[in-house]
Amino acid sequence: MTEKNADSRKKMKWPTMNRRQFVEAIVSVGIAGTVVSFLSLLMSLLPSAGAGEQQGEVDNVFTYGPEKGTWYSAKAGTEVMLEDFDEVGKGAGVLWRKSIPAIVIRVDENRLRGAKATNGLIAFAAACTHLCCISTWHLDRPNEDALFCRCHDGAFDPYNIVKDVMLNGAEYLGAKVMAGPAPRAAPIIPIEIKDGKIAGIPENLDVYGYCG
Amino acid sequence: MSTRIKRIYDWIDKRYNISPLVGEAQRSINFALPSSLTRQNRSKIFWLTYPYYYAGAITAFLAILQGVTGLLLAFHYVPSAIGDPGTPTEAYLSVQNIMKSIPLGALIRGVHQWGANLLVAALAIHAFWAFFRSPYRVGRGISWILGVALLGLALAYSFSGYLLPWDQLGYWAATISVQIMRAIPVLGDLIARILLGGTVLSPITLVRMYFYHVCLLPVIAVVLVGIHMVLVVLQGVSEPEEAWKPSANKEIQTGKQEGPLFGPFLPHQITPVLIISLVTLGVALLLGAFAVQMPGDPANKFLTPQFIAPEWYFLWAYGLLKWIGWVYDLIHFVPPATVFGIDLVSAKVVGILIAGAMFIVLLLLPLIDRGTEVRTLRRPLKTAIGAWAIGLLSTLTLYALNEILSSSISIPIDTMNMTLGSIVIVVPLLIAVPVYVILRRNAMRATEDSTHSHS
Repeated sequence: MTEKNADSRKKMKWPTMNRRQFVEAIVSVGIAGTVVSFLSLLMSLLPSAGAGEQQGEVDNVFTYGPEKGTWYSAKAGTEVMLEDFDEVGKGAGVLWRKSIPAIVIRVDENRLRGAKATNGLIAFAAACTHLCCISTWHLDRPNEDALFCRCHDGAFDPYNIVKDVMLNGAEYLGAKVMAGPAPRAAPIIPIEIKDGKIAGIPENLDVYGYCG
Repeated sequence: MSTRIKRIYDWIDKRYNISPLVGEAQRSINFALPSSLTRQNRSKIFWLTYPYYYAGAITAFLAILQGVTGLLLAFHYVPSAIGDPGTPTEAYLSVQNIMKSIPLGALIRGVHQWGANLLVAALAIHAFWAFFRSPYRVGRGISWILGVALLGLALAYSFSGYLLPWDQLGYWAATISVQIMRAIPVLGDLIARILLGGTVLSPITLVRMYFYHVCLLPVIAVVLVGIHMVLVVLQGVSEPEEAWKPSANKEIQTGKQEGPLFGPFLPHQITPVLIISLVTLGVALLLGAFAVQMPGDPANKFLTPQFIAPEWYFLWAYGLLKWIGWVYDLIHFVPPATVFGIDLVSAKVVGILIAGAMFIVLLLLPLIDRGTEVRTLRRPLKTAIGAWAIGLLSTLTLYALNEILSSSISIPIDTMNMTLGSIVIVVPLLIAVPVYVILRRNAMRATEDSTHSHS
């Protein structure tokens, strides 16, 4: 029995290794393993899924935004009413679902290309597709019919609606980039009128997550 | 050494036997300043006129000042940003408290704020001087790489610190930076999530930024600055160019000079450092006392403030983004929505790739730029590139101010963009090309002279 074992050991040709080398190898593997397993703790740096997201029921009715020095500044935080938009070109910065900044504009429906207005109104997500500053309407450049972004002078044309694709693959309609560095159109938010209040329709929410 | 200090020293030495260590440290430190020029000039404060030396000393002093003032501020600051957008959060209120009710709080914060600005300025002088003088060509490559890493660290400090008051300017500067970071191809989203604890700024982000600012970055800074300084002590401060002579056998000079040294570290070599530090302290105190900036309105994520602009040392990057957009506009180039699943040619991605490439080139400069010639005027191409870079950074900074300029001197924005946009292209070249031509001619003449003198 023992002889046979000795024979097979000879045949297998074990790599020659003395005790010191063996201990060194074991210790090295041990240290490497410890380091690797500690590195895996770095996984904990990733935030948990859904951290910082909104919870509970959300209302789809727009509320007026916080811009100062505008016709709607006194109404900041209140619900957006259809009757407030009484002339073409009047627009306001609003909030949708308490988290998505948007712009509502009464448009000249004859000039509008690529989409239909709802009761003469059209709404866009206001976060610039460039670096997520909030665009404004007739605030910095009162004479330009454009959603204008202060950060890098981006401008979007609310009268020229085009098809576009977000980085996450969501297809959408949006206001075409007129000027500046923005890579994609400013997405339309479909709207409906409920009891004279303007509300967004949350049917394609994938589109509006482009700012994180 | 007075007898009392001597007795304390002896008490420690008897137990821990530190004399050999202290002796070796003294010997090393006394090597730090090269002696040839100080001896030539017979002046202890000669080094005050040598930017490579004083800008480094100012930076080191300001780093200490930032540590001290930051420590004092940390006693009162509350890193909490929970609250409705546009309302003052605890972070915001605690900064108000520091500014209004804490004794000397406004001064301490003012010094911290201006200290940061001065530090970046001193660092820029130090870095440009090192670029033009190329000490990494004479065995100081590791110092250079550490220095570039420290430059990045200083920017990380200012980025994390800028957000802490949770006011409009800090919030939106950070938002834009975060979105730029997210535009880094492939890794951007992961980097943003780890740095910020999410893909947008939130109260979680403030806590992480605070942790970086007061805990993580200081540890890294102490280690890197420590090595940077130890290397200076070991190798000595790089010789001024006037003293530099290419060695006959073309061997790399490693710095330490032979012969008697100018004088001991204490008091001779420390004198210019002390003078410089006290002047810097005076400047920081004056600015902090009379020009401290109050935090603006509380952060509101639904309202971008008008005339948003980053700190002056990030303006060039801001200008670069705007400028690329202007160029795209000018040539009617509409970048395709996606290339390989990312918006690779959109202005922001191009911008961050250019900035990233510049940083990597700077970091690896000792590997790219080899040879032994360090005299600025004998290196036409490199000096011209440096001049071009200075021109580009300044004109991009100017371009970043297009909106403010156009409204303050009432020129239409399109005309302003056209003017500034062309300046960005033309002026750096107008500086760099003559520099190159003149230096090239001089360098050739010098080579001819030396060949003549040899023959």
